[in-house]
Amino acid sequence: MLQEVWKKKGVREAVASYLFMAPTIIVMGIFLIIPIVYAIFLSFNRVRVLGDLSYKWSGLNNFIRIAGDERVWIALQNTAEYVAIVVPIQTVLALILALVLNSQIKGKNWFRIIFFLPTVTSSAVLTLIFMWIYNRNGLLNNFLDFLHLPTYNWLGDPAVALKSIMLMNIWSTAPFFMVIYLAALQDIPISLYEAATIDGASGWEKFFYITLPLLKPVTFFIVAMGVIGTFQLFDQSYIFSGGSGGPNNSTLTVVLLIYQYAFKSLDMGYAAALALMLAGVIMLATLVQRTFFKEN
Amino acid sequence: MKTILYFCVVLLLVAGTIIGCSSRNPDGVTTVTIAGWQSNTNENQLLEQVFKKFEAENPKIKVKHEVINDQYMDVIKTRLIGDAAPDVFYLDAFEAPLLMKYDVLSPLSPDIKANFSLADFEAPLLNAFKYKDQIYGLPKDFSTLALFYNKKAFQEVGLNQPPKTWEELRKYSKKLTIDKNHDGKIEQYGFGITPDLSRQYFMIKAYGGKLVDKNGNCAFDTPEALKGLQLVIEQYRIDKTSAQPSDVGASSGSEMFGQGKAAMVIEGSWAIPFLKDTFPNIDFATAEVPTVNGKKGTMAYTVAYVMNKQTKHKDAAWKLISYLTGKQGMKTWAKEGLALPSRKSVLSELGYNKNRLYAPFVAGAAYGTIWQAGKNLPIIVTQFNNQFISALIGEQPLQSAMKKAEATANREIEAAS
Amino acid sequence: MTMNRSRWLKVILYAILVLYGMITVVPFAWALSASFKPLSEIIAGGVNFIPEHFTLDNYNKIFIQSPLFGRWLFNSVLVAVWVTGLNLLFNSMAGYALARMRFPGNRLWFFIILAVLMVPGQITLIPSYLILKYLGWLNSYQGLIVPTVVNATFIFMMRQFFINFPNELEEAAQLDGLSRWETFVQIVLPLAKPALAAQAIFIFMGSWNNFLMPLIILSDQDLFTLPLGLNTFKGQYISYWNYIMAASMVFTLPALAIYAFFNRYFIQGVTFTGSK
Repeated sequence: MLQEVWKKKGVREAVASYLFMAPTIIVMGIFLIIPIVYAIFLSFNRVRVLGDLSYKWSGLNNFIRIAGDERVWIALQNTAEYVAIVVPIQTVLALILALVLNSQIKGKNWFRIIFFLPTVTSSAVLTLIFMWIYNRNGLLNNFLDFLHLPTYNWLGDPAVALKSIMLMNIWSTAPFFMVIYLAALQDIPISLYEAATIDGASGWEKFFYITLPLLKPVTFFIVAMGVIGTFQLFDQSYIFSGGSGGPNNSTLTVVLLIYQYAFKSLDMGYAAALALMLAGVIMLATLVQRTFFKEN
Repeated sequence: MKTILYFCVVLLLVAGTIIGCSSRNPDGVTTVTIAGWQSNTNENQLLEQVFKKFEAENPKIKVKHEVINDQYMDVIKTRLIGDAAPDVFYLDAFEAPLLMKYDVLSPLSPDIKANFSLADFEAPLLNAFKYKDQIYGLPKDFSTLALFYNKKAFQEVGLNQPPKTWEELRKYSKKLTIDKNHDGKIEQYGFGITPDLSRQYFMIKAYGGKLVDKNGNCAFDTPEALKGLQLVIEQYRIDKTSAQPSDVGASSGSEMFGQGKAAMVIEGSWAIPFLKDTFPNIDFATAEVPTVNGKKGTMAYTVAYVMNKQTKHKDAAWKLISYLTGKQGMKTWAKEGLALPSRKSVLSELGYNKNRLYAPFVAGAAYGTIWQAGKNLPIIVTQFNNQFISALIGEQPLQSAMKKAEATANREIEAAS
Repeated sequence: MTMNRSRWLKVILYAILVLYGMITVVPFAWALSASFKPLSEIIAGGVNFIPEHFTLDNYNKIFIQSPLFGRWLFNSVLVAVWVTGLNLLFNSMAGYALARMRFPGNRLWFFIILAVLMVPGQITLIPSYLILKYLGWLNSYQGLIVPTVVNATFIFMMRQFFINFPNELEEAAQLDGLSRWETFVQIVLPLAKPALAAQAIFIFMGSWNNFLMPLIILSDQDLFTLPLGLNTFKGQYISYWNYIMAASMVFTLPALAIYAFFNRYFIQGVTFTGSK
C-alpha cells in the first residue's frame, strides 16, 4: 500500500520538497513564526510584561487606537514618502552601477571594491561622518556655497531632515543591490546576446529585450526588499533625532514608534498591533508590485 | 570546499573545549553578577580594583562584572522580562519609578543597619530611589550641571567674571558671539545649548512652572513654565547668540566648547576630565548656573545600585552593594572625577567641595532638580524634545509647540495606563 | 567619426565612475585616517586626510590593552563561518524547492517567508529571547548561531534566481536518472555560483556586524563577538571616536576581504555557456 503511494511521482516530489524545506521550516518556525504568532496574540491584549506577566483580552482596542493616533498617520506618511523616493532611485542606481561594472572597462575590480565601501562601513562611523558633512558649516554646505547654490540646515530643518536621511540611505544601500544585480547579470547566457548581435540589434535593444526581461525576477526581489527595508526604517532616524522622531515628527517612522512603545513605555500590546499594521501595509505594497512583476 | 569543512570542525572542537573550561565553578562560592555601563576605560579599571578588594575580604563571593554600553535599559528590561537579569545593576533615577512600580527590584531597607550611616547620602539623591517608604537603590554617584566658560574668550572681549544671572548670560553672549573673519558666518557663539528636556527641566521650574502634576500627567503648558523656556528660544532666535552642537558639527555641548565654537556651555562634571584630556589647550573655569528669576537652579542626575528581585544570592548581592556604596568602596573609584560621590563625607574627604572646578557642581546638589518625574517621564521626554526643537528652529511659537507636546504626551499616558 | 564619439563616451563614463568613486571612498578614507589620529584632532573637525599627529595608540589600545581581543575575534569568525555555511545550504535548498518543485503548500510557504520579512524585528526580539531562554541557549554559541542559520531574505533571493534557470536543465538531469538532491547538488548549485557568492558576502557581513541580539543574549565577556567587545571602548557620556574609528576599521576589513574574494565569481560567461 505504502509502496504504491510512494511510486506516485507527485507524492515523491512532495516529500522531497518538504525535505528541502525542512531546515527552513524548523528554524524559522521556532525563532520567527512562534514569536510572530505570539505578537498577534499580544496585539489583542493589554499586556504587562515586566514583573508579573499578565494579559487582559482587549479585543480590537489596540487597532482602534491606531486609527485615532495622529502620530501613526504622520509616521506612515513620512515612511511612504521615504519609500516613494528612495526605492526607485536606489534600484536604478544599483542597476546602472552593476551594468557599468559588468562591462569590459579597465580597473573594474577596483571600482567594484570602492563602490562597495559604503555597505561595509559601520553605522556609528557613518553617523559621525554625516554629521560632519551635513552640519551648517559642513562639507556639503561649503560645496553648495562654492557653486553659489542655496545651503540648508540639513539636520535641524524638518523640511530637509528626512531628505538628508534619504540621501544617506541611498548612498549606503545601493551597493548592496548592485552586488545582487551583478550576480544576476552573470546568469544571462552570452549566447542570447551573440544571437542578437547577429540579428543586428543595437546595444539599447539588447538591453531592453534581453537584459531587462531576464532581470525581472531579481528586480522584483530588489524592489520588494527595498520597500520592506525602507518601510522599516529605524536606525538612521533614531540616531539623527535621538529617538524622538523630531523636530515636530519630521523623522518619525513607524518602527521608531514601535520601538518607543515596546521598550520605552513597555506597551507591548500596542507595539504588536502597530507592527502587524505595518506588516499589512508592506504586504499591500508588495501585492501591488507583484502585479507589475507577474511571473510567466 | 573540503578545507572549509575541516576548518569548521576544528573551530567547533576548539569552541567545545573553551566552553567546557569556563563553566567549572569551585564549591561554596557564590557568584554575583553586576551590570553597568562604563564612562571610560579608566573608570572601569578602578571598579575592577574595588571588586578585587571586595573578593579578598569576602572569599566566598565572586563578582562577575558585565559592561553593557549600548541600549543599556533595553537590554536590562528584556533580561528582567526573561527572569535572566543580573543580581545587581546600575539604575538611573530617570528610569527608577517604572521599575519600582512594576515590583522587579528588591527593597534594600530591611538590610540597612544603623552603622551604614544613611544620613551621609545627599538626601534628594536617596529620595529618588524611594517608593512607598522603601529604599530600592543606593546612589553610587551624581552630577549636576554648571556653567563652563572659556577664560581666554572672556578676556578677549574684556570680561573677567562669569555671568551671575541669566540676563548677564545673554548680555555676555552677545559680546562673545564673533564672526572672526567677517565672512558672514559665526565662528564662536556665546553660548552652546542642548535642547533636551533632561537639560531644560530646571528652566521650566524657574518661574514656578511644573513638568508633571500630582497624577503624573504632563503639565508644562502653562505661562509660568513657558517663561523660562522662552528665554532659551529668544536667545537662539532673536539674539542669535547661541547654537546647538549639531549646528556647528559637534556631537555634544562639551565638544563644541572644546572646539572653541561656544564660549560658554552648561554641562555636567563628566565634561571636566574630557576637556582636560582632549583639549589640553583650552583654559576654562566653571561657575554655578546663572540665576533665572533671581533663583538658583540646575539639574541633578544620579545613578544607584539596585538589586534584582529574582536574585538567588540576596545576601551576597547586599554585601556587594553595601561595600560599593560604603565609604571605603566609594572612595576608591570616585577619584576619576566624572561624577561626584553621593556620600557627603567622601565628597569632602576627596576635596571636591574645595576644588575650584568641582565646587560649583557640589553646590548645585543642594538646589538641583533631580532628573526624575514619575514613570511617564520617558513619554514626556520624547514629546517635549520633538516639539521644543521645532519651536527653537522657528517652525512654530513655543506656546503652540508645547501645547502639542503636552496634549500628545497626555494622550499617550492615558492610553498606557 | 564614430571612433571619436565612443572615445568621448568613454571619457564621460570614466569621469562619472571616478566622481561616484570619490563619493563612496571619501567617507571611508576619512574614517581610516581618523583611526590614526588622537581624539582631540578628530574632534577639532579638521578636514585633513593626513593625520597631523599620527598615532598608533588607538590600535594599540584595541589589540594589546584588551586581553580578550583574540577571543572576540575567534568567536566572531566561528559564528560567521557556521552561519554563512549553513545559510548557503539551507537558503538555497528552500529557494530551489520554492522555485522549481511542485508541492502542496508551495505558494503558502512562499507567502509566509515574505510575511516574515514584513514584521519588524523590534517586535519579535523579546519573544525570541524568551524562546532562547527556554531552550537554555542564553550565553552560548548555539544561541547565536542556530536562530540565524536560515534567512528569509536570501531564500527569497535564491528563489528569484532559480526561477530564471532553463527548464531543460532538470529535464536532462531526469533523463540521466538523477534524484532531486543529486540534481540540486551536482547541477543547480554549481550554476548558481554568482548568486551563492552574493549570498555569502551578505550573510557573512550580517553575522559579522550582528549586534542587538548578541548584546541581549550574551552576558559573558568570553563569548562576546567583536562588535560587542569593541563596544566596550565606547563611553557613556563621551564618544571616544578615535577608538570607535580604529575598531570599525578592524572589523570592516575582514568583511571587505570576503567581498573581494567572492567578487571573482561575478564574471560573465562562466555559467550556462557550458550546458548549451
